[in-house]
Amino acid sequence: MIWSLAFSALSRRPIRTFLTALGIAVAVGSMVIFLSLGEGLRKAFASQIGSIGPDLQVSFGDFDASASFTMLPELPAYYLTELRQKSSEFGIKRATPLLSHFRAGLSPSNSFVFQGLPPEENLADLFSGFKLNEGRSLSIEDETSEVALIGAQVAKRSQLTLGRQLRLNGDYSFEIVGIVSSSEGIVDNSIIVPLKSLQAALGITDKLSFITLDLDEPSRAAETAKKLKAAYPDLGFQTRADVLGVLEQGVKVTDVVRLGISTIALIVGAIAVANTMMMSVFERTREFGVVRAIGARPRFLFGLVLGEALLLSFVGAVAGVILGRLGMIAVNAISINLIGLEVAALTLRLVIFAVAVAFLMGLVSGLVPAFRAARISIATAMARE
Amino acid sequence: MVAVVVAVVAVAVAKVLRALSLNKTYALPSGNVTALQNFSYDFKAAKVTAIVGPSGSGKSTLLNLLAGLDSPSTGTIYLNETNLGQLSEAARAELRLKHFGFVFQSFNLLNILTAWQNVAFPMGLAGETLQKRKAHAEALLKRFGLGERLHHLPYKLSGGERQRVALARALANNPDVIFADEPTGNLDSKSGSIVLDALFEVAAEGRTVIIVTHNLELAKRAHELIFLSDGKLTNAPTNLSELALT
Repeated sequence: MIWSLAFSALSRRPIRTFLTALGIAVAVGSMVIFLSLGEGLRKAFASQIGSIGPDLQVSFGDFDASASFTMLPELPAYYLTELRQKSSEFGIKRATPLLSHFRAGLSPSNSFVFQGLPPEENLADLFSGFKLNEGRSLSIEDETSEVALIGAQVAKRSQLTLGRQLRLNGDYSFEIVGIVSSSEGIVDNSIIVPLKSLQAALGITDKLSFITLDLDEPSRAAETAKKLKAAYPDLGFQTRADVLGVLEQGVKVTDVVRLGISTIALIVGAIAVANTMMMSVFERTREFGVVRAIGARPRFLFGLVLGEALLLSFVGAVAGVILGRLGMIAVNAISINLIGLEVAALTLRLVIFAVAVAFLMGLVSGLVPAFRAARISIATAMARE
Repeated sequence: MVAVVVAVVAVAVAKVLRALSLNKTYALPSGNVTALQNFSYDFKAAKVTAIVGPSGSGKSTLLNLLAGLDSPSTGTIYLNETNLGQLSEAARAELRLKHFGFVFQSFNLLNILTAWQNVAFPMGLAGETLQKRKAHAEALLKRFGLGERLHHLPYKLSGGERQRVALARALANNPDVIFADEPTGNLDSKSGSIVLDALFEVAAEGRTVIIVTHNLELAKRAHELIFLSDGKLTNAPTNLSELALT
């Protein structure tokens, strides 16, 4: 009975109900959009890391996801030789050096990630689903050449074609000789150049960003990482799960920031609900007095007012999720255009979280008006005109 | 012998409302105001008792106290053996729900509910099923000539019809006592007469009907008359037309 009464009471004031629900919808919608960015990043990381392929990643010191692209390479190149020499001892099938360099531009279309790899490496072994779309791949003859393979998304985003020059800095440019892609991996958004050429361009000859290791027994990656750590305490050895874990930590930090921003919108929404409910209680004082007079217990009015607040919040939450989904479509359209990735994703846990937060908001904002309604003095309420 | 036993049982079953030495004082910023002084009375079953008196004489205060809507400053109210003052808020609500019915001057129907839903509302509070609520509400409304108005919202009903819906609502849980505060105050004479007839009919069924009124005709028809002046129970004038009730 309470729910049907609550629904009727809200329907009686359609404009106020609509505006309040809209306020909640905007608050929940903005929260969905903000938090969906984190979900999108998680999905993107999972697919990217999954497609990189190495069973272990070797870094100098512990892996710092936020600094991996921006810091100067620190891993001494001689470790590559050592690891290759001891490959049978540690069950290493292949050790591949990697030099990453992020060239920041004024806009995303002018920002590139250069990946320096030995040109003799078979890229299909490193990147799952690797595919040469146009031009040619790299070979041993390109060891010191300034040539580049660019990912399909990079080509599309920056409108680059074969034969074009890609400037790294004032002295070095790379000629695009091939356009490549992988099933859903990092290749699409990278520029692959010969390792030595990139080292020369950056003015470093003996440092790497990472060494990637493929193991004879990938399932024992964690165990191998422990052994390697014992042998090389200065290095960090990360399994795919470790890398994802570190990235997850980074995303969690941004989760807190985004949740903080969303909270402001939620507080505004909660105030709107509380205001609506307080006004409603004030306007219906006499009606509540009558309901109490004819035998309703205080908790009935408490439940009724709280029920109205929760209903309002639920409607707002549903509308907010829809609004958030529309916002995400817009955000993804922009991000695909800029970086070739869908950065926002609506997951079930996000929907549940949004609805739960809206319910909590309704509960909190409805409590004071509900208490007020329950504590109404019948005689005073009945005397009110 | 059988007749005597039946009579005793009838007296025992009939709920009697008793007020003992009621006083009500309101603390106002300008000072204390005494609304009711030392009021005692036994309200009888199957009787219509009219409470009359000039404005400000304490009629509504008395009705609120008797109905458990407000608490006396001192004094006691009993419904049979139950002392209203000793009940919790929830228990008093329960007592009002099951033993009291209310009719107000301005009807006070819930305007989001249709006629039958208004009547069914107290039954819902009492935990009746929807089927029972609907059937009983329809029967009550038909009894008061509103069989064609079951699904009308209050604003689509005339004043007289609304008051009859309110009376049907008051009877929904088969109460022992009906409190009516100026039930004809907002009605034309014809509608008022219909409502009064209904109230007397209800009293004839064995219920206690207590009416606060300025209506002289009603006061004359009432089985019992309480005249209040300055919050005190006083003797009503022999000639009722001499009452200054406004």
